[in-house]
Amino acid sequence: MSSSKKIKIALGVIAFVFISAFVIKSVIYKPHTLIENESTSYEGQAAIFLETLKRDVKQWQNKIVVLSGTISSKDNNGVMLNHAIYCQFKDVGPLKALQQGQTITLKGRIIGYDDLLEELKLDKTIIINTKK
Amino acid sequence: MKHILYICLLVCMPWSVAGQSKFFTKTGHTEFKASVEAFEPVEATNKSTTVVLNTDNGAIAALLFVKAFHFEIALMEEHFNENYMDSDKYPKATFKGNLEGFSMDKLSNDAVAFNLTGVLNVRGKEKRITTIATLSKVDGKITMLANFSVTPQDFDIDIPKIVRKKIAEQINVKIHYELIQKN
Repeated sequence: MSSSKKIKIALGVIAFVFISAFVIKSVIYKPHTLIENESTSYEGQAAIFLETLKRDVKQWQNKIVVLSGTISSKDNNGVMLNHAIYCQFKDVGPLKALQQGQTITLKGRIIGYDDLLEELKLDKTIIINTKK
Repeated sequence: MKHILYICLLVCMPWSVAGQSKFFTKTGHTEFKASVEAFEPVEATNKSTTVVLNTDNGAIAALLFVKAFHFEIALMEEHFNENYMDSDKYPKATFKGNLEGFSMDKLSNDAVAFNLTGVLNVRGKEKRITTIATLSKVDGKITMLANFSVTPQDFDIDIPKIVRKKIAEQINVKIHYELIQKN
């Protein structure tokens, strides 16, 4: 085998190792999905959604929803929508500007129905719109 | 006679409600570590734990959604939910227990230790937990800290041979709850 052929094979092997290492790394260390980019399973009024939800809470687990409603209360980590949906914010920074009684549209992930406090719980919440 | 009964009920009602004083959080931190040295850390935090403490008798109830555990590595989070925790089938983990000898009067700025006993339910399997919780009260807020360990076998979680060396046999759970008074 000529030396140039050997070099070509060696380069090929090195390239293969690098590419496969890169592919493996990108699969193992793939980034978390961003709520901003995720498609929604429901978009509408929080009050109507609560009625829909009553039929089957389990099917909504881990689903991304966009809900419009009224902020009934607020704490350091999120807001309560229509007295029944607690939305924990992804980033608490924008919370400061929000007020009780304000109408708002939020996007978040349903993590489940909290039996202890009898409310629906969302996390990773972001603000879509502060107007109705 | 009926009227008197109603009046009595009305008078007593506010007292019975006031007697049930509760402290709670919706965003408590529950963390676990199952890391083995020299391998990728296996650890995650759940920042959405609901905890309700009845300050009249020290009864405590906690609930968390398994899917809200956040791992640094997204793939690890996926495997945790799909292969180990089966979180579509068992979305919740709960704890019901009691802080022995608890009384609001014992709480102060300095941490006070109480025995915490109760039952942890994960994947529909129950495990009795006994540990020590430290509680302090600053500016009307109760901070509760505790550690305990469990094993995957406690909850019938089967760890495949191929990853067994990378996951610790003892899983250390750490809780950090900041409770505020429930109106």
